[in-house]
Amino acid sequence: MPEKTATIPDTPLFDRAGAIRGYRLNKMAMALGQPENREAFKGDEDTYLARFGLSDEEKAAVKSRDWHEMVRLGGNLFFILKIAAVDPTPITEIGAAQAGISHENFLYERLGKKRHG
Amino acid sequence: MAKIIGGLGTSHVPSIGAALDKGLRDTPDWKPFFDGYEAGKQWMREARPDIAVVVFNDHGNSFFLDRVPTFAVGVAETYQPVDEGWGPRSIPAFEGAVDFSWHFVDRLVERHFDPLVCREIEVDHGLQVPMELFFGRPERWPVKVLPIWVNTIQYPIPTPQRCWEMGKVLREAIESWPGDERVVILGTGGLSHQLQGARAGFINQAADRAWLDGIATNPEPYRAMSREDYVEQFGSEGAELIMWLVMRAAMNERVNLIHKHYHAPASMTGAGMVVLENAA
Repeated sequence: MPEKTATIPDTPLFDRAGAIRGYRLNKMAMALGQPENREAFKGDEDTYLARFGLSDEEKAAVKSRDWHEMVRLGGNLFFILKIAAVDPTPITEIGAAQAGISHENFLYERLGKKRHG
Repeated sequence: MAKIIGGLGTSHVPSIGAALDKGLRDTPDWKPFFDGYEAGKQWMREARPDIAVVVFNDHGNSFFLDRVPTFAVGVAETYQPVDEGWGPRSIPAFEGAVDFSWHFVDRLVERHFDPLVCREIEVDHGLQVPMELFFGRPERWPVKVLPIWVNTIQYPIPTPQRCWEMGKVLREAIESWPGDERVVILGTGGLSHQLQGARAGFINQAADRAWLDGIATNPEPYRAMSREDYVEQFGSEGAELIMWLVMRAAMNERVNLIHKHYHAPASMTGAGMVVLENAA
């Protein structure tokens, strides 16, 4: 199965390669489930990120909230959502960033959200 | 023996819980979604279950990637809601159906399953949201729970067939339990959604609607489908639907589809519900 998962277009599954590559990034994000770590992250991102041994490109992706890049580096949405929770960033903005379209287009065209009023 | 009084399928999108927390139930985005669940809530009130078996996946909240159980079963006295990053939610803790849960573990291992057995663990929205959808926001939950976690995040995830087989063992466990409890089984997750990659935001309403009928009347094709087929039809995270098969396999071959509801999008997800009862 790990070989085949790459065959569905534009659909990166969290397979062995991703899980191994993203481990430290996801571990950093997982820790944000604890309030004291959220405070540390909010207070000084550099110091917080330094605790987890991230590469420079991983740190840069987190600090710039480049969701597309975080996923490319093996970040899994369920973990990096905890970064979004601190900000807070709506999940649909993360979706739009990965789809490479505007948030508005993402909501109405891709998700089929209805316009009210 | 204990009695299976119903099999329910439902989405467990975290935004549903957040919408309730923020008092958004009757806003234009959410009202049609929640209104459609009223029939399910009413059914639950009348069904008066004692135990809810909840089949769900953790979303990087109770398990990290340092240890990923393919299947895990809770045998705890109490399950607290876990802080998923937004802070603690003000919903009651869940009381475990301890003895019945151990009985299920015994039966699983006899039938050659190898579950992780969890004595002390918190539960995330995968269990919380289905409970809120069917029981509302009581001061305390009117049922005890048996949580079953299925890994649907890190590949390899279990096959649909394996989920089906677990459902067969669940039925055996219920029917061989000496108590007279009334048991509901909640298969949760889905429907179509994809949170990652350039196809993020993928929702397949046609496949979702077909699923809600098919899971009742003709689940066989879904049991035979590959994991790749699930991802292709329902999106990368839509593959969570394999967990409904645990519920469906525990039911009779023939069931009555009592209630059905579909709404899209709930956040980024095609969301839906079924209520099934065993037919003769």
